Amino acid sequence: MAEPLLVGAVAYTPNVVPIWEGIREYFAGTEAEMDFVLFSNYGRQVDALIDGTIDVAWNTNLAWVRTVLQTEGACRALAMRDTDLTFATVFVARAGSSLRDIGDLAGRRLALGSRDSAQAAILPVHFLHQAGLGEDDVELLRIDSDLGKHGDTGRSELDAIRAVLDEQADAAAIGVTTWEAIGRDELMPDALTEFWRSPMYCHCNFTALDALPAERSDPWVDHLLRMSWDDPEQRRILEMEGLRRWMRPNLDGYASLFEAVKQQEIPARW
Amino acid sequence: MVSSASRLVLDLVARVGALADGETAQVPVLPGEEQVVAEWCSRTGNDFVEVRAGSAVVRRGRPPGTDEVLAELPPERRPGARLWLYTNFDCNLACDYCCSRSSPQAARRALGVEAIRRLVQDAAEARVSEVFLTGGEPFLLLDLDEIVAACTAYFPTTLLTNGMLFRGPRLDMLRRMSRDRLVPQISLDSATPERHDRHRGRGTWQRAVAGIRTALDEGFRVRVAATIPGDEMTSAEEETVFHVFLDDLGVLRADQIIRPVAQRGFAETGVALTVETLVPEITVTADGTYWHPVGAAHLDQLVTREIFPLDAAIEDVRRQFADHQRTMLGAARHFPCA
Ligand code: SF4
Repeated sequence: MAEPLLVGAVAYTPNVVPIWEGIREYFAGTEAEMDFVLFSNYGRQVDALIDGTIDVAWNTNLAWVRTVLQTEGACRALAMRDTDLTFATVFVARAGSSLRDIGDLAGRRLALGSRDSAQAAILPVHFLHQAGLGEDDVELLRIDSDLGKHGDTGRSELDAIRAVLDEQADAAAIGVTTWEAIGRDELMPDALTEFWRSPMYCHCNFTALDALPAERSDPWVDHLLRMSWDDPEQRRILEMEGLRRWMRPNLDGYASLFEAVKQQEIPARW
Repeated sequence: MVSSASRLVLDLVARVGALADGETAQVPVLPGEEQVVAEWCSRTGNDFVEVRAGSAVVRRGRPPGTDEVLAELPPERRPGARLWLYTNFDCNLACDYCCSRSSPQAARRALGVEAIRRLVQDAAEARVSEVFLTGGEPFLLLDLDEIVAACTAYFPTTLLTNGMLFRGPRLDMLRRMSRDRLVPQISLDSATPERHDRHRGRGTWQRAVAGIRTALDEGFRVRVAATIPGDEMTSAEEETVFHVFLDDLGVLRADQIIRPVAQRGFAETGVALTVETLVPEITVTADGTYWHPVGAAHLDQLVTREIFPLDAAIEDVRRQFADHQRTMLGAARHFPCA
């Protein structure tokens, strides 16, 4: 029997341990057994993928872009969550604010999350550019509270929201998952309002190098895609990881981030 | 200024988000904010456990459902797998540790063969797998053979008895019972009369041993259960002597049970058994349906005054047990050893 496929993930919360133990358990006894390795940040994880320490990396969108850039495209995305296909950034302001559109941010102060967060920093700046707003037009309040984890902890986004509520910023750019986690504008009545939402883009994916033979990755992906919401044990894992179904990737959803990384001259390695 | 409800929601996201599944966090709440916590939990799939000392206790993740909690127990111990029926409460003995407060003076309070027939039919539909008949002393009832037949028609049945009345018409009743489906369980506390007679009355050991022999001679598989008061815990040596004694009588090792006295009924010392600590074994008496046979004389273990419909009581007990387990799981996670 082949060696188990070694999958890397970043330990951004203690919950990552039961999630990956559950996923490993799901693969146990199949023809695609796996084990996992946890990293403290995405930089180390991508290095480990490229030097062959791990076979597959559970990457954020920025980690995917950086893997593509570092390997000059010699890598592939294997699968992603249904929720990764429909990710978006939400711009929020205090309830009753006069902000109606992203363009209204001219001359205002925007709180951003950690600078390595695609949803709360890199893409928001890109969307500002697309709306004709440069660095001189909008004052950026950068809150780098979870650097290295690409915004996964959500902490910098919560800090950005606090900055808005404390009137240190006029608006904050946050991931749609954080917006959902705080109950949109429904749990905090009269506190926050969404005034602009980005087009959808893709978030995480399982990344492998082209050097990983398809005979090894295909059975693993096939079994992953069979994980079912209707099975209570499998559903527990899906709920913890924030999805209902694993999906085949849609690479078009990364185009905006590739552009943003290029424009903002974000290094391919760090 | 950050409003109080907003602060609360941000705290919930930050603190609960930093937990592993099943762990709990405490988030300070002001009076009236419980609703926000409940709503947040229901949206995000987390479990609002309680408010304690001004803080909301929230467990990460969806609480396990009743079936998931029960799946942790071996199938034969799951609530609803065993059905206990108190045939009657009167007894020819008056043991000092009796958990049902039985004695010759106790009122009979018999369930009656008709009710038992209906109960076992309901039990068959409710996926019960085993029936236990107890009292009081069931052999005081002169229709016990009919009661046993009603049970063994559906289930493997255990009949708890002091084994002292196997004479005359009562011996005839025993003889009419199913050898395949019925196991008499006879109480015997020690290998010599002293301990047994101290709690059960002079001369009772001799007659119980005679009862065990009779039942074995009649071709029954006999189980023997010893009840040991908490302040009289036996030595390993004493237990060995007891096992050898029972081996010699012809009782299988698997059928030799030694257990501590339950702190119930007439017992003043013993193992404390409460609804919180006992895995329920649904128990029906003439007075109602109870959580467990050791609590059948106690209101705190009363599930309902009704004895029908049995399936509803079983469902109620399963749900209550799962709730207790979830609370205990929360408390266990909440009070680490350090
Ligand atoms: S312990 Fe058993 S034998 Fe003794 S009084 Fe109670 S019911 Fe009767």
